[in-house]
Amino acid sequence: MDLIVQQSINAISLGGVYAMLALGLAIVFSIVGLINFAHGDIMTFGGYGIFLALVFGFSPVAALAIGIGAAVIMALTLERTAFRAMRGADVVTLLITSFAVSEILKVLFQNGISARPVPISFPAGWSGTYEVAGATIGVVPTVSIIVAFASLTGLTLVLRRTATGMAMRAAAEDIEMLKLLGVRANRVVAIAFAISGLLAGVAAVIWTAQRGSVDPMMGFFPVLKAFIATVLGGLGSLGGAVLGGFVIGILEVLTQAFLPDGLSPYRDAIVLALVIAALLWRPDGLLPAKNANRS
Amino acid sequence: MSDVALLAHPARLRAANAARTLICLILLGVVVAVLAVVFGRSGERIAVQMCINVAAVVALCVYCGNTGIVSFGHGAFMAIGAYLSGILTMPAGIQRTALPELPGFMAGYELSLWGALPIVAIAGLVFAAVSGSAIARLMGASAAIASLGLLIITHGVAVGAREITRGSQTFFGVPRVVDLSLAFGAAVVFILLARLYRESAAGLFARAARDDADAAAALGINPQRTRFVSWCLSGMMCAVAGALYGHMLGAFSPASFYLSLVFAHVAMMIVGGMASVGGAVTGVIGVTLLQDSVRQFEGGVDLLGIAIPEVFGLTTVSLGLAILLVIWLRPTGLVGSFELGPGAGTRLFDRITTQASPAPAPARVAEAVLSAEGLSKSFAGVKAVTDMSFEAPTGRVTGLIGPNGAGKSTLVNLITRQYHADAGKTRLSQTDLSTLSRESIAKAGISRSFQNLRLFQGLTVYENVLVAALAAGHKRHHAAAVALRELQAFDLAELAATPAHSLPYGARKRLEVARALAQEPVILLLDEPAAGMNPAETDDLADRLTRIRHERGIGILLIDHDLRFVNRLSSWTVVMNRGTLIAQGTPEDVRADPAVIEAYIGRGRTAAAVTHSQEETTLKQGVRP
Repeated sequence: MDLIVQQSINAISLGGVYAMLALGLAIVFSIVGLINFAHGDIMTFGGYGIFLALVFGFSPVAALAIGIGAAVIMALTLERTAFRAMRGADVVTLLITSFAVSEILKVLFQNGISARPVPISFPAGWSGTYEVAGATIGVVPTVSIIVAFASLTGLTLVLRRTATGMAMRAAAEDIEMLKLLGVRANRVVAIAFAISGLLAGVAAVIWTAQRGSVDPMMGFFPVLKAFIATVLGGLGSLGGAVLGGFVIGILEVLTQAFLPDGLSPYRDAIVLALVIAALLWRPDGLLPAKNANRS
Repeated sequence: MSDVALLAHPARLRAANAARTLICLILLGVVVAVLAVVFGRSGERIAVQMCINVAAVVALCVYCGNTGIVSFGHGAFMAIGAYLSGILTMPAGIQRTALPELPGFMAGYELSLWGALPIVAIAGLVFAAVSGSAIARLMGASAAIASLGLLIITHGVAVGAREITRGSQTFFGVPRVVDLSLAFGAAVVFILLARLYRESAAGLFARAARDDADAAAALGINPQRTRFVSWCLSGMMCAVAGALYGHMLGAFSPASFYLSLVFAHVAMMIVGGMASVGGAVTGVIGVTLLQDSVRQFEGGVDLLGIAIPEVFGLTTVSLGLAILLVIWLRPTGLVGSFELGPGAGTRLFDRITTQASPAPAPARVAEAVLSAEGLSKSFAGVKAVTDMSFEAPTGRVTGLIGPNGAGKSTLVNLITRQYHADAGKTRLSQTDLSTLSRESIAKAGISRSFQNLRLFQGLTVYENVLVAALAAGHKRHHAAAVALRELQAFDLAELAATPAHSLPYGARKRLEVARALAQEPVILLLDEPAAGMNPAETDDLADRLTRIRHERGIGILLIDHDLRFVNRLSSWTVVMNRGTLIAQGTPEDVRADPAVIEAYIGRGRTAAAVTHSQEETTLKQGVRP
């Protein structure tokens, strides 16, 4: 029983991270058509932000805020320097641009900081556990679930209730029309990038708190999973991205917990193969994005 | 252009294609020769690597170039090829030390490279067929990410399957048998294969579906199948290229085929231009030269007295910057969207006068009737078409008119199975069309043009029409003749070698109709063929359509806003409003129908017009006595 509770907590916490990353990817994709390969590097930069803040003697809580801020600034910088010039290019061109940017950033991290993992030490109490009804539950996974759900709910409220959020949803449908209505497209796009950076920053905080170190590839692998999540959910669909993130996180934890030892090296392969099989059944994803296509 | 020049076009195109292939080969040959002669041993090593990369990138390009989808998955095929060929060719003694737990059925073959390659090719093809059955269903970015998933899966399996691959440790003992002549030979064969596929019917279909999947489907091309075929050929070639790469390295690990290799290959392809084989070759050459120059500086050097420190990953950065620069300055790559070298319209080929035999005048089609019975379709509660029934027989131009939003285009899309009807049937004589797939409608005898132009932008005018004739099932030489005939009929002969994207508007509209007619349909559906044309162009089109109907006896369902144009051509007019049939009959009858006047001009005006004419009558009556 307690194993099931623990694994559920782990699954939802990992799914929450993937969901935040996938949602960040989906927001940017739905507005400018960019599949951002550099999203993982934004997350990594957030991790380095935390590391450097701690090195310079900031308190752990301040370091977390600095890490999130670093990710937002990185997202905005990339938008301004690399992607704004390419706005309106086709999906493949944008994808390759971000691919190149991502490779360059990784080399910068390797040379600027270190090619090896650098440790991040948070107060010991943060990595503790507590017991509920006989089940031992980690503090970090619990907090990460709360943070993930708070972020997702907050974002939903912003998108549904505020004028900016409405402008962003409108931009996702038709950015050209939005420009004609006099809304400043650059601002909407910048906010989309800022939100995706914010989500990547929060993911970086959770990830480093669980792993205790940062390396140049830190963000890359979870973002790969998030990519798959966006396709599984339906590319361009925000709800689909969140759903896809949770599905992949849960699948991953399930396979980890219940796969026989002989198969455990193939865990990622099995999860991805399941996702690709799901795409056979629903090529447009679980919650497909609506798009009108007139002939 | 005279008929002579037009009929010589296929021969000139063949010559141009041969010239373009030759240019790729010469380009590669010259660079290889310069490297080997000028730089000696180290140059030769670079040349071998470059040739293997050409093979790999050209193989990648067979999928990406012909489908327009970037694949990150071909590293998986290379890994499979390299490991499989390594195991098959490894000396038994080394194999016992390196892979003690290798399953018995895989051990101890000691094949030569030539014995192993066919097995590698088959394995690549099988793996491509399996993975392609999922990936070919996806389009654009989704397919790109799924292919990345495939790469991760394969990498994971290669790391996990220790007995076969030594896990993440180095896999060694692979005979290093790839020398410069073998590598260059492989590159040449791959370039020839890729060029042949690109210009073959299957390659043309793939490129048509790449440019416009809906238009390709309307011609009877199955876009998913073209992606599948390209993926399979590409996967098979990549597996062989991977085997050669393995035999060049001699020792490798799963990481050798992972993201850095894939990144390098994709970068080469994008820098050169993804749409052409010449682009792939140019990209590999350019990037190889760039990387090998940059590598000199990677270990740190003294430049003009300034010590530049050692920088890891300088080659990666230079590659990234090269991609960014190319994308900013030339989004379609160095070579662009057409093959490197002269097109068929170049003066160089003017002397070629070998003529294609002209197509016979099209036979008159057998009588048939396209009929719709009670068609209905709603979109999320909006009833676009409700209970529409009408007939369009051969030998008649049937006009379909109605105000904007009446449901005319939806109706065409229902007939062509682009949309599936909620209720009702469509038939062509006895054939029930409503159970067919949208790709089978063309085969049943119905071709269409599109309201918004849907040409294949990456093909020439001639190829646009040729692809339609090929899709209709004609053999190559007959298809060529049919294409030439339709180009002639629509005054496009002069433009045969022009890329479709650089045509003037009127010619684009004519090309759409010519493309549809090249399928020799029984019924032709024209969705606003005259929209945006000036009156002279409209009259010209009307003349041509009248002649076609007269000569071939086909039925035309003509949709347009230009009532003068529709009335001039059609002898039967069907009027729709708000998704329903409101009138049909001869153009004169329909024009006088109050319901039609109301739909077009509105109720108030009709009432006014009717009162006005009554007053007139009364007045006249008053005067008469």
